Amino acid sequence: MANFTIDAVKKMTYDAIVIGSGISGGWAAKELSEKGLKTLVLERGRNVEHIKDYPTANMHPWEFEHRGQVPLELRKQNPLIGQKRGLFSEATMHFVVKDAEHPYVQDKPFDWTRGYQVGGKSLLWARQTQRWSDLDFEGPARDGFAVDWPIRYKDMAPWYSHVEKFAGISGNKDGLPQLPDGEFLPATELNCVETYFQGQLAKHYKDRQLIQGRCAHITKPEPIHFEQGRAKCMHRTLCSRGCPLGGYFSSNASTLPWAAKTGNMTLQPHAVVHSIIYDEKKGKASGVRVIDANTKQMSEYYARIIFVNASALNTNLILLNSTSSRFPQGLGNDNGLLGKHIAWHNYRARITAQYDGYQDTTTDGRTPNHSYFPRFRNVHKQETDFLRGYAAGFSAGRGTNQNREGIGVSLKESLLNPTLGPWNVSSWMMGETIPKETNFVSLDASQKDPYGIPLLHISVDWEENDDKMVKDYQEQFTEMFTKAGFTNIKTSDSKHAPGADIHEMGGVRMGTDPRTSLLDKWNALHACKNVFVTDGACMTSTSTQNPSLTYMALTARAADYAVSELKKKNL
Amino acid sequence: MKRRIALQHMATVVGGLVTLPAWANGWSSQSLTTNSYLSAKQDALLASVVETIIPETDIPGARSLNVHTFVQKMVNDCYEEEVQQNMIKGLQVTEELARKKYSQPFNSCSADQRMEVLTQMENSADQPVADFFKLTKDLTIQGYMSSEYVLTKHMKYTMVPGHYYGCVPVVTK
Repeated sequence: MANFTIDAVKKMTYDAIVIGSGISGGWAAKELSEKGLKTLVLERGRNVEHIKDYPTANMHPWEFEHRGQVPLELRKQNPLIGQKRGLFSEATMHFVVKDAEHPYVQDKPFDWTRGYQVGGKSLLWARQTQRWSDLDFEGPARDGFAVDWPIRYKDMAPWYSHVEKFAGISGNKDGLPQLPDGEFLPATELNCVETYFQGQLAKHYKDRQLIQGRCAHITKPEPIHFEQGRAKCMHRTLCSRGCPLGGYFSSNASTLPWAAKTGNMTLQPHAVVHSIIYDEKKGKASGVRVIDANTKQMSEYYARIIFVNASALNTNLILLNSTSSRFPQGLGNDNGLLGKHIAWHNYRARITAQYDGYQDTTTDGRTPNHSYFPRFRNVHKQETDFLRGYAAGFSAGRGTNQNREGIGVSLKESLLNPTLGPWNVSSWMMGETIPKETNFVSLDASQKDPYGIPLLHISVDWEENDDKMVKDYQEQFTEMFTKAGFTNIKTSDSKHAPGADIHEMGGVRMGTDPRTSLLDKWNALHACKNVFVTDGACMTSTSTQNPSLTYMALTARAADYAVSELKKKNL
Repeated sequence: MKRRIALQHMATVVGGLVTLPAWANGWSSQSLTTNSYLSAKQDALLASVVETIIPETDIPGARSLNVHTFVQKMVNDCYEEEVQQNMIKGLQVTEELARKKYSQPFNSCSADQRMEVLTQMENSADQPVADFFKLTKDLTIQGYMSSEYVLTKHMKYTMVPGHYYGCVPVVTK
């Protein structure tokens, strides 16, 4: 009997456990298994195998029964995901979590956007990949908020390069201090009006530039991409259905198959992590408790190191739920700050306009990318009445004039012969929000989800700094659009609830001081050194860049450190 | 606050059930397919209405591209019960108007007569009648323009462009 137990434990024992298979979990899986660690990857959702499980990827518009619209009954059953602009459609809804599947408590309105499947939200992301600079890493220390980041750009630069080369990032070397250049494949093209606006900015401003966004699309495959079985992006722009070509980076197309090829990875879907097991005697984590999503049975798995990549808020949930006599408030939570200082990006404001020039030109084909407006507010010193600043997306394109007047033959004629409309231009802000202790998540004392795990309370909201930033964005872009000769300028502030912005961060922030932070400079818990958090939860501040590239680089860096510490027998 | 209460309520309900996150169940569009809710007669009348909105010429019209089936499916699956009922009522009004004005069924009227009936409905002071016309017209245009025939033969639809050129001269037909 004793032997049987030992065997059973052995069977459940790995070198490393990775919780989550999205952007950062996929990278943890790849790096750890590539370095020879037997790695168990736990994913709470179903498996999504590259190509095979993209049911809508090759469907034409007319093949969708309701041309994409989600039937009323499903919309009524899912009022929350019903608000996910663009994702709740017949083409993609199978990659978005249904409301009933994982309830949570909104102490304040929060449109939590989640992807529970192998690959997580890496199937759905916007694929923008901009590096951070020291202007971001030094932000909290310079401006006196949050805590100082324990790392700087020089710590990250080689890891940015490492992940960029593998993922395949297209872009130009723009030489901007606030947006360091990387390992780029050829950039996608700007169009006439984007180039025109770029020129207008150069003419009117010294501190403002428009560049082509750096994005995770393979514009010219290198051998490393062919090795992954991925091919050149063919501009289908149907990305969020899953790309059968692997034209953009996702865990499914890239890191997970790569990890599988090493023979060291075990991928286990339908595995909902309940908590991390803390071994009081050894003073470190020994494994995780997992609930089988189908049978609801709990089992335990053991490993020497654990990477928590469950997506920012779920990583907080797991750690808060990992209680022991050493850590009654949640794993690593000696200072009571776990779950606090949640921040995200502010996507509330938009601006649209028209341009009457370039009437004799247009675009041909489709672009998976857009142009990018790096932060220009408070970059080198504080200049405004709000902290930090915003980046912005920008895109231009010609619409069609479709005359829908009347009925009969004349209507048919106009529908079948649309004329080219004016150039439409639009921009959307991506603002930095300031992490505050009063924006937090916590566990419900009694209510549980279908897996018996406490419900997560989410209590976050906008603040005055965000409102000021929205106003400044609208004013500054109205001015720039006016100077460029754009007309019919309209600004808006959606005032939507946080969560729809998706980029939630923090709660398990990095820092140098264990009294004010949870993670050290290697993303390990100060108080439990063999547990690493490298998803959005680790972020000390948010900056303005789309965060995924930074999660990838942090993960690869932490995995490298973890393995070298294991070799030195320090973990 | 309302949403919070709704969610808490839902959580309590769900907590007691064994719900499996079975992806394949409940999400595929096939499983949502419902039978037509209009009678054969009403369906034929709807076909005639969509054909009046986008008629056959040397290019197929809405009826031969089965747009009426699409319109009915959309109303049945994506709209509230009252909108579904208003479609039935609108079809009745269409038929009554044709008989009153031209002493014959809508289906037997000439194209001009059918257009006259629908135009009168478009401008009707009776809001449900005007609503019926607007929804039917919008869905007819949507179904027609997103049909395989129109997209591939007239709209240069391609799933895989393979390129993006940012600045090319406008080619006039």
